[in-house]
Amino acid sequence: MGRAVAIIGMGQTKHGRRYDVTYPDLVREGVQAAFEDASLTPADIDGVVFGTMPSMMEGVAMTHFYFADALRAVGKPMMKTETCGTTGMSLAITGYYWVASGLADIVLVVGSEKMHEGDSQATMSTVLEPFYLRPFLAGAPGVFSMLAQSWMERYDIPEDKGREAAGKISVDHHKDAFDNPYAHIKKDLSMEDVTNGKVITYPYRLWDICPNSDGTCAVIFASEEKAKKLCARPAWVKGVGFCGDEYWYGDSDKVAWECAIDTAKQAYKQAGITNPLKELDVAEVYNPFTYVELIHYECFGFCEPGKAAEATLKGTFSRGGELPCDPSGGVLCTNPIGATALVRVAEAAMQVAGKAGDHQIDGAKTALAHGLGGVSQFNGMMILGSSL
Amino acid sequence: MSNRVAIVDVAQTPGSESSDNFLDQLYGVCKEVLDKTGVSREEVGCVISAASDVFHGGISCANAYYWDSGAGFLKNGSRQDGESLLAFYYGVMRILSGHFDTVLVVGICKGSENPSDDMITHFYTDPFYQRQVGLNEIFAAALQMRAYMDTYGIKEEQCAQVVVKNLGNALRNPYAHLKQRIDLEDVMQSRVLTDPLKEMECAPKSEGMVALLLASEEKAKELTEKPVWFKGFGSSMDTFYLGDRNLLESEITNAAKQAYAMAGIKDPRKEIDVAEITEPYAFQELLWCEGIGFCGPGEGGKLIESGATQMNGDIPVNPSGGVLANNPYVSRGLYRLAEVVLQIKGQAGERQLAKDVNTGLAHGTHGFAGQFHAVAIVGT
Amino acid sequence: MGKHFSTFRHDVWLPYKFAVGQVFKAFYDGLKEEKILGNQCQSCGKIFVPPRSFCPDCNVDMGDYTEVSQEGEIVTWTLAKEAFFGSPLDPPFITALIRLDGVSCDLLHLVGGFDLSDVTGVRQRIKKNRRVRAVWNDEKQGHLLDIKYFEPL
Repeated sequence: MGRAVAIIGMGQTKHGRRYDVTYPDLVREGVQAAFEDASLTPADIDGVVFGTMPSMMEGVAMTHFYFADALRAVGKPMMKTETCGTTGMSLAITGYYWVASGLADIVLVVGSEKMHEGDSQATMSTVLEPFYLRPFLAGAPGVFSMLAQSWMERYDIPEDKGREAAGKISVDHHKDAFDNPYAHIKKDLSMEDVTNGKVITYPYRLWDICPNSDGTCAVIFASEEKAKKLCARPAWVKGVGFCGDEYWYGDSDKVAWECAIDTAKQAYKQAGITNPLKELDVAEVYNPFTYVELIHYECFGFCEPGKAAEATLKGTFSRGGELPCDPSGGVLCTNPIGATALVRVAEAAMQVAGKAGDHQIDGAKTALAHGLGGVSQFNGMMILGSSL
Repeated sequence: MSNRVAIVDVAQTPGSESSDNFLDQLYGVCKEVLDKTGVSREEVGCVISAASDVFHGGISCANAYYWDSGAGFLKNGSRQDGESLLAFYYGVMRILSGHFDTVLVVGICKGSENPSDDMITHFYTDPFYQRQVGLNEIFAAALQMRAYMDTYGIKEEQCAQVVVKNLGNALRNPYAHLKQRIDLEDVMQSRVLTDPLKEMECAPKSEGMVALLLASEEKAKELTEKPVWFKGFGSSMDTFYLGDRNLLESEITNAAKQAYAMAGIKDPRKEIDVAEITEPYAFQELLWCEGIGFCGPGEGGKLIESGATQMNGDIPVNPSGGVLANNPYVSRGLYRLAEVVLQIKGQAGERQLAKDVNTGLAHGTHGFAGQFHAVAIVGT
Repeated sequence: MGKHFSTFRHDVWLPYKFAVGQVFKAFYDGLKEEKILGNQCQSCGKIFVPPRSFCPDCNVDMGDYTEVSQEGEIVTWTLAKEAFFGSPLDPPFITALIRLDGVSCDLLHLVGGFDLSDVTGVRQRIKKNRRVRAVWNDEKQGHLLDIKYFEPL
């Protein structure tokens, strides 16, 4: 098998509404933060991986050219990895393989987005081809609302129970975000605020849905030799997985979602995990919508199918529970899409390296990071551990 | 465990506009390479694609649209944007990691569905300092050509000779989009688009779906008698603003240096048997040949005049016709590689070089005036 | 039955609102006053026009603007004769990289103020004199094209 690889540094910008800086400056901010965290300079880097959402999002195409200087990539090899919502995870996976293959020793991975410069829903509507789908899918919330309905019907979950579980996720995460200096939306919500919020696409209400955020995340991957030399507490990559299914919405069952289940299988197998609920200490699940987080708990084996609402209401996945999920607040509070899945990786790495500050889960040794994308089409995963 | 990766076989579609839709074209080329190699879709380890959201018929999140048409259903995979040769490199990484025995690498482009490359490349610009003055790839190339001519005395006729060579070579390439027996006068008389660039010196806008099957050493030997081995790779990015760059000293030199070091090549002109170089503007073939060490700085004009880069020369460049004959913008780097693979396997049909071909170089470039370059070396 | 060949057209329009940032705004404000501003890297001493928020080589923050000469030399140029769909400018026009006096990099802008209809004439004109000076639009918008073009002296 390939070489062992670890994360030895990570940086994030203060995510949010960043009209104070141009997009290149925003990228630079995240990159600087990673270099500072790892105490490295560009001279130490063998290659740079970069990616974002499609160019239509910000109106500049092939942004790796535009950001060459901000990325400190001038004179260096580059890769440009993009897989829409899962981009951040695919970026991390690219960095991992570049080092695991032996073709590089230290790789800088950067994901970024400046959503306030474009119209994100209008842009995302262009994901749908004009032949069959474009008029119908009511933006991203529309797609995932249909998913929520299917899930509740499939398992006979009473609507108000599903609503309560999703509400608990929203209340918990928006409050968790106060302990994350980088998070965008931090709010002290009551259950009523969430369940009575404005309907966006039923059953999704305002606080079930992630924001548009501007932000950059940068992560540095290194070989075993370099990691041991340069980093006191590397976060070792224990397993990776990725899976995509078909484009045509309506072809696959997205509730007991084979693509998500398979992604976790790949990563668990490599990491030697057979009982995720017990063996994982923390999970950063990609949760742009509350109900989606519940469904993924089931796909990833954190609970039995159909039992996510019950387990959530018991507190299994809260900060003090058996498997804390998204102690950073998750995507629900912060979503600079090109960076978002990479932020999950950075947060998971911070947890096992003991660097998560006020939202540290004590004694975390094994963490899961997840990315989700497309019209319910892609899943990616990376499992990190504090020991090799 | 072996540290070798091979290309088992390739499949490509022709460059002229097809009446098939995008998804059907892609499906066809993936199926073709899997059938040729006898590897089933289930067996393939993962799919690494090269595609670009902006050259994609206005349908963003490119990989979403084509994932299952590109053999990806319920499979692991990823996508490279910007330069398709990077998808090849990523496939190599995936095999060297030991996680996969086979990787399907696919380059994806349907030029006929897109607005002009001139229009799309306009959006590479910085909205503050470049967009307002209308900069795009062709203007950047023209600025570079003028500087090339002024600095070294390269003649327009020498640049035009590249077109005569490449479109002539393309007559033997059934996949090429443009193929013509032309002479120098035809090129020199063609309409000026942006001085000094003439219409015939600028690449067309073509279709191009290309698929390559990569395998680990053990698997490759099971699948084919003539694996083409990965030998070396390099890439390099230049600074963004044109005004900060030396347009005549591009990062191709750094990219080639990395590839040569990995491949153990000390004298490229002697050790490389064939080169497929991305030359969307004719003069760039001369400039890039200098950059990769086939001749010295400023000697590109003399190089083509010497006949060395003709099909029967000592360093044939673009026997396929290159990008001037066929320009599927997004996948053209992988097309260069596919052509080199066919030459090495002895399967290049009428365009097969007469000499023994053991080591080949494939080059890709994107970004204004070649801001980014990638170089791959493969061989027996 | 022969293969049926059909296509349909579909245009995509998307709105954008870019954050200008401090440095680019300073440059645009300078243009309104018919000043060309640059800034200098305190580490390597290079002077950039238009100004940057960070030096691309040294990666240090840059602020502190300095007014630069409005005269310089054409480094390279091209005469555009054909437009692309959505082009902001109508041909013929000349795009050029111009090295303003005292500046360490080239400015991308237009060259004009004379007859652009014939390529040979244009080539001769520029060959004779590569020195140019900025010519301003009367109406200012805080935009790169407040400089109408650079005219050969």
